[in-house]
Amino acid sequence: MSRSQLLKGILDGCVLAVIEKEPVYGYILSKKLQETGLLDISEGTLYPVLLRLQKNGWIRGEMRPSDTGPSRKYYELTETGKAALDEITAEWQQISEPVNLLLKGRNSDGIRETAN
Amino acid sequence: MVSAKQLIEENNRKREELTPENEKYYGDLLIYIRLQLTLSEQQSEEVLMELLDHLLEGQKENKTAEEMFGGDPKAFADEIIRQLPKEEKRNMIPFITRIVIMLAGIQLVINGIGLPLWIHFQKPIPDFYPVTAAINFCISLLYIAFAMWYVLLSLKKTLFSGDTKRNNIIFYLKIYLGVCLFLAISILTDKFMPKIGPSFSYPWWLPLISGVLCLGIYYLWGKAAKT
Repeated sequence: MSRSQLLKGILDGCVLAVIEKEPVYGYILSKKLQETGLLDISEGTLYPVLLRLQKNGWIRGEMRPSDTGPSRKYYELTETGKAALDEITAEWQQISEPVNLLLKGRNSDGIRETAN
Repeated sequence: MVSAKQLIEENNRKREELTPENEKYYGDLLIYIRLQLTLSEQQSEEVLMELLDHLLEGQKENKTAEEMFGGDPKAFADEIIRQLPKEEKRNMIPFITRIVIMLAGIQLVINGIGLPLWIHFQKPIPDFYPVTAAINFCISLLYIAFAMWYVLLSLKKTLFSGDTKRNNIIFYLKIYLGVCLFLAISILTDKFMPKIGPSFSYPWWLPLISGVLCLGIYYLWGKAAKT
C-alpha cells in the first residue's frame, strides 16, 4: 500500500466514523473532524472524499430542507459503509498498535544506545 | 428530494451573499463544473450547493474561499469533477433529440421564408432531394456539435485566470470566426453536394409549416419537461 493510499484509507475511516454517529452535512462534518484535532483535513479534501464515498455506496447523501430554511445535504452510513468502516478499523488497529510501540519506544531505545 | 432546478434557483439567491473575493472564486468553480455536460446535473448541483453553503458559513468566521478550498481552484474543481458520476444516457437522449428537432425547425423555417422570395423572382422551386438534404443536415449537426465542444473548451480556458478582459476578447473573436466558418461550410456544401436519390416537387408552404411544427414540438416538450 502506497503512502497516499494509506492516507486515503485513514481519511475514509475518519469521515465514516463521524457520519456513523449521526447524519451530518458537510460543514458540520468538517467542524467535527477539526475538533477531534485532525486539522489537516481541509474543506478542499473533504468534498472529493464525500463524493468518492457516495460513489462507493458507503454513504448516502440526501438533500433535505433543514429547520433553519435552506436545504442541506445530510449524509448517513449505508450497510456496506458500515462493513467498510469495520474493516478499516480492524486494519488500522493492526497497524497502529505495533507502529505506536515502535515509535514510542524509539526515545528510550535511543537513550539506551547512547548509554551503552 | 430537492430537484436540480430548485437547487439552481436557491444557488442564484444565495450567491449574492458572497463577498466579491469569494464570488470570483466560487463563480469560476460553478461555471467550470456546470460546463461538464456529461456529468449528472443533480449531483453537480448538489455539490455546488454544499460548497456554497460551506463558503457562507466560513465567511461568518472571516475565512476566505482560498483558505478553505486551497489556492488552486482549478485543481480542486478537477478533483470534484473526477468524483462526480456521469449523467445517465437515458437522460441525455431526450435532451439531444430536442436540440436536433429545434435545429431542423430553424433550418426549415429559414428555407420556408426564402421560398416566397424565390417565387417572387419567378424561379421554379427546386425539387426536394431527401437523401441530399439528410446528408447536408447531418454535416451541419456534426459542425454544431464540434462548435459546441470547442466553445465549451474555450470557455473553460477563460476561467481561473486574472486577465479576464483579454480572455473575453479572444473568446468572442473565436466565436465570430466559428460563425463565419459555419456559414462558409453551409454555403459550400449546399453548392457542391451532388443531388442524389429520389426527388419530388412540393408546395412552397410545406417547409414553413413543418418548421413551425418542429419548433412547436420543441417548445411544448421543453414546457412538459419542466413540470
